[in-house]
Amino acid sequence: MPKKWDSVNKIETASPVGANLQGQTQAADSGIESGIESGQEALLKYLATMALAFLPFVLLMQDAHWLNIIAFTYLMGGLAAAWNIIGGFGGQFSLGHGVFFGIGAYVCARLYVAFDWSPWLTLIPAAIFAALVAVLISWPTFRLRGPFFAIATLAFNEVAFVIANHFDSVTGGPRGIMIPFKAGFSNMIFRDRWQYALLMFVFAAIVIGITVVLRRSRLGYYLLAVREDEDAARASGINVLAVKLKGMALSAALTSVGGTLFAMYLRFIDPPTLFTLPEVGVKFALLALIGGIGTIAGPLLGAALIIPFENFLRAELASALPGLNLAILGLLMVLAALFMKRGVVGAWSDLLAWYRRKREARK
Amino acid sequence: MDQILNVLVFGLLLGGIYGLVSIGLNLIFGVVRIVNFAQGELVMFGMYGSYYAYAYLGLNPYLSVFFVAPLVGLLGVAIQRLVIQPLHNESNMQIFATFGLLMMFQNIMLAVSHGEAFSIGGQVGSAVLAVADLKISVARLVTFVAATLITIGLHLFLSRTLTGKSIRAVTQDKRAARVMGINVERTFLLTFGIGAALAGLAGALLTPIYSITPGVGGNFILAAFAVVVLGGLGSVWGAYIGGLIVGVVEAFAGYYIDPALKNAVWFVIFLIVLVVRPAGLLGQVGAEEVGFREQN
Repeated sequence: MPKKWDSVNKIETASPVGANLQGQTQAADSGIESGIESGQEALLKYLATMALAFLPFVLLMQDAHWLNIIAFTYLMGGLAAAWNIIGGFGGQFSLGHGVFFGIGAYVCARLYVAFDWSPWLTLIPAAIFAALVAVLISWPTFRLRGPFFAIATLAFNEVAFVIANHFDSVTGGPRGIMIPFKAGFSNMIFRDRWQYALLMFVFAAIVIGITVVLRRSRLGYYLLAVREDEDAARASGINVLAVKLKGMALSAALTSVGGTLFAMYLRFIDPPTLFTLPEVGVKFALLALIGGIGTIAGPLLGAALIIPFENFLRAELASALPGLNLAILGLLMVLAALFMKRGVVGAWSDLLAWYRRKREARK
Repeated sequence: MDQILNVLVFGLLLGGIYGLVSIGLNLIFGVVRIVNFAQGELVMFGMYGSYYAYAYLGLNPYLSVFFVAPLVGLLGVAIQRLVIQPLHNESNMQIFATFGLLMMFQNIMLAVSHGEAFSIGGQVGSAVLAVADLKISVARLVTFVAATLITIGLHLFLSRTLTGKSIRAVTQDKRAARVMGINVERTFLLTFGIGAALAGLAGALLTPIYSITPGVGGNFILAAFAVVVLGGLGSVWGAYIGGLIVGVVEAFAGYYIDPALKNAVWFVIFLIVLVVRPAGLLGQVGAEEVGFREQN
């Protein structure tokens, strides 16, 4: 996959350049909590995170069952990271990302099945289409704050469900679209599971790489400013709407790419698999919440914790008592909202800060 | 002409159902501004409660409603105390927590009922009142009347009684309300409890109409939010009228456009109102900011 790796390299080489300045100002202080980290630090952290994330793949490459879970974990981690751009950095809790996910899946599947387009070629038009739809539906809804925005995005997800069910000439309606198995790199259909897992890993690595760069870019800081205080951001001369729209468009485009990969992995899509809230739109947000909303590694970590756990629950409980696995997931969501608002990453850094304070107090 | 009248009556009765399931949410979200995505599941619990009362005790749903609704209300008090109160200034976390509750409740019921759909039906469900050419389902008429009466009652409660006034005071300014000697926490408990009890009541009254499945709440939740926002946050009559509008729009869209698209039509209307006039049709302009001001 030379094309894919290229873009990762570009990200990796791009990030230290702009950040050198900041690196010099705080060269002596390498503390995690204090100040802005340097570009090298960010790059190292990114590489370490991705290397760690790659480890399960290397260790379990022979195990088809685990490879399936790992591939799905990478995919969901990448999708949660894409949601995190607007939901975490921008503070806009979208529950309607299923719309963009569905666009990626449907555009790819329809063009591939009907016109024999290579899924690789459909990635770009689908992503652009998703970004356009995102801008179109966000333009009016970004006027809404807090829960009203979340409810509106929820409504968009339901509209998408109804439309996908209705216009069966495009989407196959409730019957869905079946993608025939024709293995080949250009078809994005592979014979072995490990190839899919690798593909999903590359996707997650690219999305997280983008969030690393974004977090340190002007747009990233603008998004944070909007999240913290919209009125103050506007008063400081930030075009709040434009910033939100850019964040949403980027997030939607990446989500659409994830949708395409999902469609080619499953090779069957229908409205329930693409728009069921607890499985898609809310899931992205849930994974980010568990890992740590607004952090770089949080979404991937959330996926790494939840997806295998979910698979375990499904295998162990679903046959005995249907639904019990999802009930436990719901309970987890309630507990996370109550006691771990900043996710595992937040809890970890709290612990670190507490430990450091204690050590200093002892001195 | 007859057709239009038929569709209109059907739509109004459907609107009564939407109004009824929205009344509880209107109190919880419209008046005290708590985001509760699990409201549809409270309706579902009301339905299961009255179904089990019917199946095991032989009680008519219109009788069992008198203990089903308070039970669901107690559940609401527990939810408010354990989940909402610790999150009372964080609407985003309320979204997560109540969506988690939604998944929990739905799937616990799925595990309990093993996915089997229940239905009372029988004479209660199929009774029909014939007026000239119109055929009116008695169960639907009952929900319509109940929605109307409860709306009147709620309006009087909020505007005339001291408790009702303190509920509105807490919404408008928590601190000032506290200074005036109102127990804010207890008021929230009470409000959420009443809102949940009303959801349970709606569920019990709907038992003869709908077949009961764990996912039935999903039919109501977005509709209820749409009704509350459409009618106007904090406006009791707004939710009633919003319910009727959604019902009539759904009936006409289903009849004249396409039954598959009926939901999409009122979703779109809901979105337009949300964007053009977030305070809703009968709400005061700026009402959508009240109660969230301290949160943002």
